[in-house]
Amino acid sequence: MGFDQFVTDRLDRLLGYATAITCDKHLAQDIVQNVLMRAQGKWERIGAMDAPYLYVKRMVTNDYLSWRHRKAAREIAVERAELARHAPSMADPADAHAEREAMRARIAVLPRKQRAALVLRFYEDCSDAEIAQVLGCAESTVRSQLSRALQTLRTHELARSATLGVHS
Amino acid sequence: MNDLIRQAIAAEAEERVDSRTVLANLHKAKNRKPMGLIFGVATLTVAAAAAAVIIPTTLKKTETAPLANAPAQEAQNVLLIGTDDERLTDALLFARFEADGSATMISLPRDVYAGSSGERFTGLFREDPRKLTAAVENLTGAKVDHYAAVQMSDFGRVATAVGGVEVCLANAVTDPRTGASFPAGKQVLSGDQVLPFLRQRMNLPHGDLDRVKRQQAFLASFAKKITKDNAMELFQQVSRSVEYDDGWDPLLFSARFQGPVQVRTSTLPVGEAVVRNGVHGFAPDPAQAKKFVEEQLSGKGTAETGCVN
Repeated sequence: MGFDQFVTDRLDRLLGYATAITCDKHLAQDIVQNVLMRAQGKWERIGAMDAPYLYVKRMVTNDYLSWRHRKAAREIAVERAELARHAPSMADPADAHAEREAMRARIAVLPRKQRAALVLRFYEDCSDAEIAQVLGCAESTVRSQLSRALQTLRTHELARSATLGVHS
Repeated sequence: MNDLIRQAIAAEAEERVDSRTVLANLHKAKNRKPMGLIFGVATLTVAAAAAAVIIPTTLKKTETAPLANAPAQEAQNVLLIGTDDERLTDALLFARFEADGSATMISLPRDVYAGSSGERFTGLFREDPRKLTAAVENLTGAKVDHYAAVQMSDFGRVATAVGGVEVCLANAVTDPRTGASFPAGKQVLSGDQVLPFLRQRMNLPHGDLDRVKRQQAFLASFAKKITKDNAMELFQQVSRSVEYDDGWDPLLFSARFQGPVQVRTSTLPVGEAVVRNGVHGFAPDPAQAKKFVEEQLSGKGTAETGCVN
């Protein structure tokens, strides 16, 4: 597959993926642009792979998880945590939109690697093996990252339902 | 709960920017040399590396009586290395310090194939500093007298310690990503303004290339801010991570600095990116590289000064 064709087919999906893991569309754009420019330089090799998309996704993920974006990620997380603090208690429990937004805020404050694993599972529908490949870790690590993320989200979810129950 | 997670992530992904914007940027970038990309955010290490060399020496001066009869100084070539948390080289500067303390610095892109077995600069220091200095000598045709390496992550603290660095912008500019905005003209950056300034790439006419220029301008200006009064604090900020070769006598080296340090910066032209053994990098023409370095070091090259984008 040629580079241009790859970009045409996958750019939108890649932007969606990057936005979901970074929770910041501008940072996501920055990362995707940089990664694609780098990928273009070595497309001869990437294009010949079985799964170029998986490889490029790995580049995007690595870039985000690298120290380069540590500060940005922290700032985004702080911002989102602030938003999350205000949002849920005001919401009507019957409001599906509010419920989704509350979950979104909770995902945004997960540790970066856990969120990446979660997005790979629930947005990209990747298997444990594929996630391991993208994150560059063992499958057992993927499972522990995912289960920790789900545990955190579940705890919050229970706490939230309980709070809303009292109010309603 | 899984459905809820799925919906939440999809909603987050829905926020993505329009892919047409990204496509347009990619097309623009195609016509540029990819050098700026390689430098990326990391080039700001360069300034920290410069500080690593200059600071310990300035500090020594404050602790000893002024050297009444300073020995005659010879020009020295020092390799300034900025490393990431894993000791990979992210920024590499070949610096010639003249007898009067003024310096000429040439940025060497870290992805140049330069090792004896065709490795790129980036991994050589971690393997063995001597491999890196040998590779630089081989490429530039100039001798490396000493090296100093500093961890890039120390840079934030260093920048704060000098209490501000003056830069000049040709135009007022806003960074859509960080929300930082800078007016046109001369201004003094400090603390939290420094990183957005050094990192901005979007909204600039030449994108990454402008970012490299900004970083070089910052470096030149930063070096001028190092004084006896702030040297101690700067030294403390970087002392944990600075490494330099055993054969160096910083006290002797320091005698040359009699005032603010003048720095001229330039970047080694590296041509188009190439792929070797599946690795992306640069293979500048050896003869041209040597010629460029010689011209810069003899003061014939054009210095990159003035306001940046």
